[in-house]
Amino acid sequence: MDASSCVRGAAHLADRVLGALRGSGCVGLAEFVDSCADATSGLGAVRLVGADVFLPHTVLDRPLSTGDAEVVAASMEVFPPVVAPATPEQRVMAWCDWTTARALARLSGDEPVAAPADPADVLGPAEDWARWSVRVAQLSSLAHPGAAGPVVDAVLAQPLALCRGVVRTVLRRDFGTATRLARWVGLLHAAGTPLPIDPGLLIEHVDLRVGAEPRRVLDLAVARHLVEATA
Amino acid sequence: MTAVARLAHTVTSGALGYLHANRQFGAFEDEVNSDLNDPDGVYKPLCELALAASLVLRDGVTGTAEQQAARELLDFTWGQLRRGDLLYERQLRHPVLTDPLEVYSHHARSGYHHPALARTIDVGAAEDSMTEVLPNRRMAVANAHRVVGVPRDDDFEAMLRQTWLGRTPQPWVVDWYTAYHMTHAAFHITDWGGRPADMPADVAAYLETWLPVWFDVWAEAGQWDLVGELLIVSACLPEPRFVESEWELFAGLQHAEGFVPRDAEPVDDDPRLIYQNHQHTAVVAAIAGTVALSRLLGGGG
Repeated sequence: MDASSCVRGAAHLADRVLGALRGSGCVGLAEFVDSCADATSGLGAVRLVGADVFLPHTVLDRPLSTGDAEVVAASMEVFPPVVAPATPEQRVMAWCDWTTARALARLSGDEPVAAPADPADVLGPAEDWARWSVRVAQLSSLAHPGAAGPVVDAVLAQPLALCRGVVRTVLRRDFGTATRLARWVGLLHAAGTPLPIDPGLLIEHVDLRVGAEPRRVLDLAVARHLVEATA
Repeated sequence: MTAVARLAHTVTSGALGYLHANRQFGAFEDEVNSDLNDPDGVYKPLCELALAASLVLRDGVTGTAEQQAARELLDFTWGQLRRGDLLYERQLRHPVLTDPLEVYSHHARSGYHHPALARTIDVGAAEDSMTEVLPNRRMAVANAHRVVGVPRDDDFEAMLRQTWLGRTPQPWVVDWYTAYHMTHAAFHITDWGGRPADMPADVAAYLETWLPVWFDVWAEAGQWDLVGELLIVSACLPEPRFVESEWELFAGLQHAEGFVPRDAEPVDDDPRLIYQNHQHTAVVAAIAGTVALSRLLGGGG
C-alpha cells in the first residue's frame, strides 16, 4: 500500500458516492474494498473520504447496510483516529475523524463519541478570515444536510469571514478549495443565514472551472443539494 | 488611528517629495502642439501629477513643506501646459476630447484659471460635445465639470449605476483592469473623498465587505499600484476604512527616495527609468495619504 493508491482509491470511492447520490443505488463499501488491489489501501481510501461515505444516508435518508458499517469500523481500526492532536493538521483530522465516528455511531446505534476540544483551537480567530477559511475548507466533510456540532455552530456564526474566504479562493483560481467552502456556504444558506453572495451563482461559477476530480465534484453536489433544498 | 495617521503622513510626504524632486523627468522634451502624438507619454503623467498636488492643496492636512511642494508641482505642470494654452488649443481643435477639461479641473481647483479655455469648456458642455467613453470615465468628466463649476444636469447616481461598481456584481467577477475601473467609479462619485456621503449606501456596504478580499488578493500578487488605489477607495467611503496592517504593508514598500514601486518586480537603478515606471504609484501614494489623513481629521463630511 502507498499513499498514492489511497488517493486514487479515494477518487474512485468519491465517484461511487456521487453515483449513489444521483440515484444509482448504494455505495457498496465492501464491494469497493474488494475491488482494490489490497484491502489496506481500500480502507485507507475509506478513511480519506471520511464521513462523506455516509452522504447517501444523510442526504437521501438511505439505510446503512451492516456490511458498509463494518467496513468503516474496520478502516478506523487499521487507521486509528487522531486522539491527542498537537499540530493544526492533526486538529483538522481529529474533527474529521469525530464526524466519521459520530455518523457511524448514529447510523449503527452505538454510543455517541466525545467531540474534540474547543472549535476555536482548530479554526483560529475569524478576524483572520483568510487563514480561518482555509481551515474551514479542510473541514468540509462536516458540512452536509442536517449537520450539527461545535464546529458547525462556529462557522454558522461567521458568514462574512466564510464568504470573504470563498471569494478569495475563487479569485486565486483555487477552485478545489472553493468547492469545499461552497459546501459551507450551502449549509449557511440552508440555515437561512443572509449571505453577501449568491450561493447558486457561486456553485455554477466554480462548477464551470473546477474540472472532473470526483471528490471536488462530490463537494459541489453536496453544496448544490443544500442550496436547492432551500430554494 | 494615530498609527494610520502617522503612516499616511509619511507615505504622502515621501511620495510628494519624490515627485517634486524628480519633476523634471516629467517635462516635455520637445516642442509639443495640441495634437499630442503620444498623449500617454508625458502628458498623462503630467496630469496625474497635477491631480495629486491639487488634492494635497485641497485637503491642506500636510505640513508647510508638503503644501509648498504641491504648489510648486502645480506651477510646474501649469508651466508645461503653457499656462493652459496647450489645453485651450487642444480643446478648441478637438471639441469632443475630455482630457483638456479634466486636466484643467485639477488646476482650476487650485486657483489656476484660463478664461478662454473656461469659455470653450462652457460652450462645449452646452453643446454636449463629448466623445463616447466607458461609464467610469463618464463619471470622471462629470466630476471635472462639477469641479470647474460648469452647470450640467448630470445625474451622478444614474451614471454610477452604469459602472461595474454601481451594479455591485458577484465579487469574484473582477480582474485587474476591472478593479481599476471600480476604484475610479468610487473616486469620481465622491470627488476623491471630498463628498463621501454621495456614495450610495448599498455601494458603500459592498465595498466595505469586499475591499479586504481584493486587498489581500492583489497584495499577494504584488500589485502595489492597485493596492494603493484600494487604500484611496477605503478612505473615500462614507465611514472611511483604515486598517493598520494594510497601511503598514504599503508604507513598508516605500523607498528612501519616496517612491513606491508599482509591483513586485525588481526596481531599476536609473533615476529616469524609476520615474517612468513608478511615477504613477508615487502619485497614488501621495493621494492615498492626503485623502486618508483628511478623513482621519474629519474632512469630507
